[in-house]
Amino acid sequence: MNIRLKFTKGSEVKYISHLDLMRVFQRALRRGDIPISYSSGFNPHQEISFGAPLSLGVTSNAEYVDLKLADAMDIQEIINRLNSSLPEGIRILRGIKLGDSPKSAMSIVTHAKYRITMDIENAAPEMVQKSIETFIARESIIIMKEQPKKGFTLKETEIRPMIISMNLIESGKNKCVIECLLLSGSRGNLKPELLMKAFKEYTGYNVGKIRINREEVYAEKKGRLVDLFEVQRGTF
Amino acid sequence: MKYEDTKEFIYEELLPRVEKPGRYIGTELNTIHKDIGSVDIRFAFCFPDVYEVGMSHLGMKILYHLLNDQPDIFCERVFAPWPDMEREMRKNGIKLFGLESRDYIDSFDFVGFTLQYEMSYTNIVNMLDLAGIPIRSGERNENHPFIIAGGPCAFNPEPLYDIVDFFMLGEGEEQLIETMEAYRKWKSSGGTRDEFLNMAAEIRGIYVPKFYDVEYNEDASIRSIKPMREGIPGKIKKRVIKDLKGSYFPDKIVVPFIDIVHDRIMLEIFRGCTRGCRFCQAGMIYRPIREREVEELMEIADKLIKSSGYEEISLSSLSTSDFSKLQELVERLVSKYQSRRIGLSLPSLRIDSFSLKLVQEVQKVRKSGLTFAPEAGTQRMRDVINKGVDEEDLINSVGAAFETGYSNVKLYFMIGLPTETMEDIQGIADLAFKVVDRYYRVPKEKRGKGLNVTVSASSFVPKPFTPFQWEPQDSIETLIEKQRYLRKAIKRKQITFNWHEPYVSYMEAAFARGDRRLCDVLIAAWKLGCKFDGWDQYFKFDAWMQAFKEAGVDPDFYTIRRREMDEILPWDHIDVGVNKKYLRSEYKKSLKAELTRDCRTACTGCGINLLQEGGVCK
Repeated sequence: MNIRLKFTKGSEVKYISHLDLMRVFQRALRRGDIPISYSSGFNPHQEISFGAPLSLGVTSNAEYVDLKLADAMDIQEIINRLNSSLPEGIRILRGIKLGDSPKSAMSIVTHAKYRITMDIENAAPEMVQKSIETFIARESIIIMKEQPKKGFTLKETEIRPMIISMNLIESGKNKCVIECLLLSGSRGNLKPELLMKAFKEYTGYNVGKIRINREEVYAEKKGRLVDLFEVQRGTF
Repeated sequence: MKYEDTKEFIYEELLPRVEKPGRYIGTELNTIHKDIGSVDIRFAFCFPDVYEVGMSHLGMKILYHLLNDQPDIFCERVFAPWPDMEREMRKNGIKLFGLESRDYIDSFDFVGFTLQYEMSYTNIVNMLDLAGIPIRSGERNENHPFIIAGGPCAFNPEPLYDIVDFFMLGEGEEQLIETMEAYRKWKSSGGTRDEFLNMAAEIRGIYVPKFYDVEYNEDASIRSIKPMREGIPGKIKKRVIKDLKGSYFPDKIVVPFIDIVHDRIMLEIFRGCTRGCRFCQAGMIYRPIREREVEELMEIADKLIKSSGYEEISLSSLSTSDFSKLQELVERLVSKYQSRRIGLSLPSLRIDSFSLKLVQEVQKVRKSGLTFAPEAGTQRMRDVINKGVDEEDLINSVGAAFETGYSNVKLYFMIGLPTETMEDIQGIADLAFKVVDRYYRVPKEKRGKGLNVTVSASSFVPKPFTPFQWEPQDSIETLIEKQRYLRKAIKRKQITFNWHEPYVSYMEAAFARGDRRLCDVLIAAWKLGCKFDGWDQYFKFDAWMQAFKEAGVDPDFYTIRRREMDEILPWDHIDVGVNKKYLRSEYKKSLKAELTRDCRTACTGCGINLLQEGGVCK
């Protein structure tokens, strides 16, 4: 039985890496006594796979994990058990059953929506609104990006095509909230931190205390962006 | 940039800037968080090394929960912040904090350090400084916490005598609780700092260094160590838990988010060791031997698996093979947990066929490499150190392992042992070759592919309370020469050779058998930037030598000098139970390469049974 679960990654666990999150789930599954399936081979491992990785320090309302179970179990029961065995900050929100050989959550994600809250000193809302408009009106946005696999050398990266939209949705004195839709997958992947780096450089704003939350990740279905539950509808 | 308080600042602003922020989160599964208003005693349990090392330590796991089980005590964990974190803390005026509450530890009641190895001492100084607590006990007043320390290195406490207010010798479970009880009384009485130290000194196992005076001879050796007050014991006896049956063991342990060195359940099967290897300090200071019962171990394992979700249990002791009911325990654990894919690992096994069978039983779940510790290359040398194994044992065991498909073997040795010659060094290479040859005697279709024999040679460091406590350490030059010789002799493509930096071993030797004069050296070294000395990338030998010079102390006096058999040693006022008469006789036997039997077969008269009324040996 294959299932997909959607969960939150709150502030309490935002410094837990993708790899560490794997261990957290493995142990929670064992504590919750959930009949997870094991791979065959020299070193059998639990059949767990996550959707798009989240950067360290970023919170999320929309993480996805796919599990393969050795025996059938009611999805609500799985959710209840996991919610009592997972650490604070990780809450399973919903779950669905998948078909027999589903495409992995990781492979189908193409876009992600982020909500970015930040302090901007001495900036009126109208000014910020205008800056955003000017920023995304550019045809090209080049930013220097670190390449971890090449000794953290810097490389020029064009990020404009990976920004689908960027909107100011809330603003107050010295504080604003931006929502943006970015490419996130094999066809292009823009991390929101890099976007903010570019935004700071291009606008010259003194930005501090940035908090980023992933609101949703999407897959494409018949030319539409849908969440990772919707994309499964009608496939089995 | 506005933050509510420093706690939020640390979490939101500092952690994103450092490597592995998971080290400093403090909300791992099974951590304890208490309402500050409802506790009377705040305790910072400090491990003077990085999180991944400290969190792998069993003693800390036990004592953390033991203290927190007391409703009025809140014990938090503190590790040495990695240099990147320390830099950010100092830059931003952040002091050392308890991981759970993120409160500064300078306002706590106790700051306790566990002393696991000498090369972590500079981290203690650095952590106190980072906490804003004066380093020397004489500079601290009623507003500061008491700085206490325990663990194996506390048996020679003298190099830390001016830093630590008092030491707890031996097993902590009972004496910690007694100390807390004394503290409650003292706190409600509103007494002075010295009054509490007086109360503490009455608790068995507690050593308050400022109550003792040390005098020296002209040749710099010690003339006397004497208590300066009435009612203070002349000899401080270590504490032991008389019977492990029913003794405290937590039913949950903290499960880290990030990967640590030993990321598994450690099931302590017994304490102490009866083998009597003459180089081994643990084998002497943790006596007597006390086992836990299989039934109780099964219960503990069950509770820990349920509460942690760990996928592996490791049996923990000084010598797993010596557990009298090992076969029964292993069979029961395997049959209970195999189907649930919970692995079992058996470290510290002896080299014999029985042990090997067990390993094969166990590794049905997961198969890893095998480790053997012959410790020395020739039979003569192994007899000197009383390591009762011979070449046949080793070759038979590795042979059996190769026959069943293992192709990865690790061999541990020491160089610089007393009476060692180049012949003994050559013996290490010869033994490794015999292991390689044994592999090629297994038919090709039966043996595993890609033989790799890893030979690790560490440099011997003479330790207090061992028969070699009077022996000089090899000089750095001699150790280098021996390493060079071995590296050349052992060169084969199937053999990987690892060795330890002799410079680190030299410093370790100075502190292991150091006296009070090393305290100034330690503080001077810290001022010169020494910290994380156990980490090659941070160890600064030149700075250490400079510190010795500044303090006017000659390190050779502690390392390469042979001590007289009747010399007063810096730890002579500490009683670990094993007495000097026994150590002397063991030393003399070692020079003749005479063996001493395992004392389970018959008492060898080490003295431990006289440590406590009623005896402690079974």
